[in-house]
Amino acid sequence: MAHVPLVPIGAAREQAADPRTFDEHRQALGELEAALQRRRVGVHAGWGDSYAARVHAKGKLTARERVARLIDPGTTPLEVGTFVNDGLVFGDNLRSPAAGVITAFCRVEGRWVMVIANDNTVASGSWWPRTPEKIERAQTMALRLRLPTIYLVDCSGLFLPEQSKSFPGATGAGHIFKKNSLLSASGVPQLAGVFGDCIAGGGYMPIISDRVYMTEQAYMVIAGAALIKGAKSQKLTSLDIGGPEVHVHLSGCADRRVPNDEVLLQCLRREVAKLPSSGADFYRGDAGAIEPAFPTHELRGLMPVDHREGYDAYQILARLVDQSLFWELMPDAGEEMICGVARLGGLYAGLIINRQGLVGDPEHPSARRPGGTLYRAGIAKISAFSRACDSDGLPIIWLQDISGFDIGVEAERQGLLAYGSNLIYTNSTNSTPMFTVLLRKASGAGYYAMAGLPYDPVVQLSTCLTRLSVMEGRTLSIATYNTKLDDNFEILSKDPDERRAIEAGMRAVEQRIEADMDPFVAARQMDTDEIVAFGELRSYLCALVEMSYQYSGYRRVKNPRIWTMHDLAVLTGGIR
Amino acid sequence: MTSKNRGAPAVPMFRRLIVANRGEVAVRIARACDLLGITPVFAVSAADRDAPYTRGRETVCIGAARSPQSYLNMQAIVQAARQRECTALHPGWGFLSENPVFAALCEAHGISFIGPSPRAMHLMGKKTPAKQAMRAAGLQLISGSDGILADVDEARAVADRVGYPVLLKAESGGGGRGMRIARGPDEVAGAYADAQAEAVAAFGDGRLYLERLVEGGRHVEIQIMADRYGDVVHIGERDCTVQRNHQKLIEESPSPVLSPDERARTLAAAVRAAASIGYVGAGTMEFLLDAGGTLRFMEMNTRLQVEHCVSEVRSGRDLVVEQIRVAAGHPLSFRQDEVELVGHAIECRINAEDPSQGFKPAPGTITRWHGPTGPDVRVDTHVESGYEVPPHYDSLLCKVITRGATRDEAADRMIAALRELVCEGVPTTVPMHLQILQSSAFRENRYDTRAIPGWPPV
Repeated sequence: MAHVPLVPIGAAREQAADPRTFDEHRQALGELEAALQRRRVGVHAGWGDSYAARVHAKGKLTARERVARLIDPGTTPLEVGTFVNDGLVFGDNLRSPAAGVITAFCRVEGRWVMVIANDNTVASGSWWPRTPEKIERAQTMALRLRLPTIYLVDCSGLFLPEQSKSFPGATGAGHIFKKNSLLSASGVPQLAGVFGDCIAGGGYMPIISDRVYMTEQAYMVIAGAALIKGAKSQKLTSLDIGGPEVHVHLSGCADRRVPNDEVLLQCLRREVAKLPSSGADFYRGDAGAIEPAFPTHELRGLMPVDHREGYDAYQILARLVDQSLFWELMPDAGEEMICGVARLGGLYAGLIINRQGLVGDPEHPSARRPGGTLYRAGIAKISAFSRACDSDGLPIIWLQDISGFDIGVEAERQGLLAYGSNLIYTNSTNSTPMFTVLLRKASGAGYYAMAGLPYDPVVQLSTCLTRLSVMEGRTLSIATYNTKLDDNFEILSKDPDERRAIEAGMRAVEQRIEADMDPFVAARQMDTDEIVAFGELRSYLCALVEMSYQYSGYRRVKNPRIWTMHDLAVLTGGIR
Repeated sequence: MTSKNRGAPAVPMFRRLIVANRGEVAVRIARACDLLGITPVFAVSAADRDAPYTRGRETVCIGAARSPQSYLNMQAIVQAARQRECTALHPGWGFLSENPVFAALCEAHGISFIGPSPRAMHLMGKKTPAKQAMRAAGLQLISGSDGILADVDEARAVADRVGYPVLLKAESGGGGRGMRIARGPDEVAGAYADAQAEAVAAFGDGRLYLERLVEGGRHVEIQIMADRYGDVVHIGERDCTVQRNHQKLIEESPSPVLSPDERARTLAAAVRAAASIGYVGAGTMEFLLDAGGTLRFMEMNTRLQVEHCVSEVRSGRDLVVEQIRVAAGHPLSFRQDEVELVGHAIECRINAEDPSQGFKPAPGTITRWHGPTGPDVRVDTHVESGYEVPPHYDSLLCKVITRGATRDEAADRMIAALRELVCEGVPTTVPMHLQILQSSAFRENRYDTRAIPGWPPV
């Protein structure tokens, strides 16, 4: 049968969890997510009210106000890179919230677009260390999904005291213009609105875009008046040198002049309305977007904060996918992994999630072994599934909660190195969009195998529970103190002082790597794209899946009748 | 009837349809199938395996007597449909008929679900989005908040604006939980807190909305039918005000107290509203007729209703046949201007309950049954002499529908018909219906949903 035989999964909260545990988890995670929200608010405030007031005094809008007016009413931007540079100080004790630039997926005229807006409340929108990388990351996301890209330019160039970290490198500021070029060469429409002082790099930002609008206060210059000989005596300002009079009329570097920010934003909206409309509804067929049968907000009560505590992965899936309907592929193989097809916002996607708790061992029928790990059959299963999704044009969502690969004598003999490499090869050469969510543990080879950031998923999301590192703290402390431990990793010495010292030492090792695992550390250094609350996860995933189907001319999308999935189901004995 | 109809269907469409329900509605669906040349297959629980209405028909057993194991067992029913090569499924009313997951499951497995799309069903099953969609289409609502309340301050502001008493209701609520009344401004904060706490505990979702509490009022509903091509018609309204504990006892059409202008305005708006959400199939929009004579939208039932017969009797249209036709992709077989509503129709639901024993359900064996007959009398039933009424399901025995040129004539015909009805072996609610129909309160329309006219007898 060539139907997509989705079936109901999950159960109501009363059956899925006992009330006390549910409430405990909800409380604990609630506190972490409240802290996340507070930190976001802090970043959104930029350099504070006085800087916003300065912007308003010039008759301009702040970057976040511009975004709010650009987007469709009633929608919210899905921001990425909020916490880049969070907590870091530069130059004279200066901070760069959001690295001075807002990058967000936004809905404009019913289409998803990527908006890149210099934050004019933070050092006049200049570029800090990592600002170029953050902009390039957004451009890469746009390129991968062919999303129209809108630059709201208000950028005085590099933050000069740190120029050595943002100017010269392979991913330095210049690479932004290469990305501009690649977007254009791939037929991705780019629009630029120039709102303020755009100097040097800032001046170059808009030019490759297909349509450029300038306000009367905007100027674009390779160098400002301060560096032009004779400017002082001639009383020339940068606006005289590179304002709309020059660039719209004389040089042709901009298309249209408009009176102010508000009008410019409306012009941009009108441009987007001329672009091809979204194909998502076509690919939805007769389905519409329908919420899960069990509310997404219950995820907060089902995810234990303690990474050693298990949960039922089906209950998580049931609260992410439309109507809690799921078609599990190859359920009898590789029990430690669950993979299958579901609708997200009415559109088909492939999902892969680790099973927690204990699972069976096909070689030793009476034995049980830990889930949250990859064994041979699980690796083979998700490798085949990943290839099938790529073949079928299904976006893949990797939901990670993994400690790592199986290790030991048997694991090596079975060749997990090779099976794992096969999986990595598959993911490295896929062209279907992939999205990775680090639900909780994202450890070592497991993080790599399940399409972690080094494998270029289009977007990687973390949660407040994410633990991203090469290994768990306990594993590292065991490795470090190996000579002092017995076969079962217990301390050999019987001397109480020595035991105490070793225990303290092991704890210190654990704590150090524990600190590395803080999701905000990863977010700060762009090792993950965004930290989201569990209640927001479905919105992000539905949006990303919809973006995958908005324009599909660049990638393969097979109709469900002829999916490779059906071959897999037949060959592995599913009921057909 | 032959058990297998191997010839081509009378109207080109599905050949085999699974009846995913029981009792009177199963008979009703099978009758429509016979007219269309479709072979019905009855999905039966173990308790209904030998039901008289399945005699000579194809059946498939879907599970044990208890509903969760049979008539509510989504996967068993879909599997049974596929096993028996049925390409369509009619869910009847109750059970899974308004379950969008079930509708999606049928479609995912190649079974055409007779009803609206899962999306439309889901939308109309959620209170505030449904109301917002209906208001956008021009229907009047009960005054209240515009969707979810932001906080208790908004609750107070809205309550002051719409006037007291007000109801604070849980968005995810049901079964009357997560609801509190506030009769004055000083009660709002307490009602808000209590309703929210109960909602969080019961549903994990503390979002509330607010509505003016309309006490009394009449229940009026509009029958609509829509095809897949955007055409929607109404088949008039029904008045179902005679109720006990929110269970309808008597339904009639037209509503005897509705002004012609309000009727016309709301019928047109209901049709537009159904079209605006891309509705397909039969549906009923339920309204509260307030003391001022305005119809206010309450909710939509995205299925066929028990009392659909009332509209059929006045219009001469077969709604179940039409449901199946539109599901098979046929355009509507009649236009709005071809819908003629004639006379006055009344329906009485006869249950196996003893009104003098607090309406306690009384399952048992019907030793003798004789249904009334005659011109302008219709009886929809699944029972016969010797039928054992099972204890596991609702207690509806039959529906008697009469028509007359006037309301009084229809009511008089109903009294005569009910007197002709014979049911020995189990008690029925007939005596109560007779009291109601003969009461001056009923005849003079002096009642609302808060009390049954003429019952209990003074």
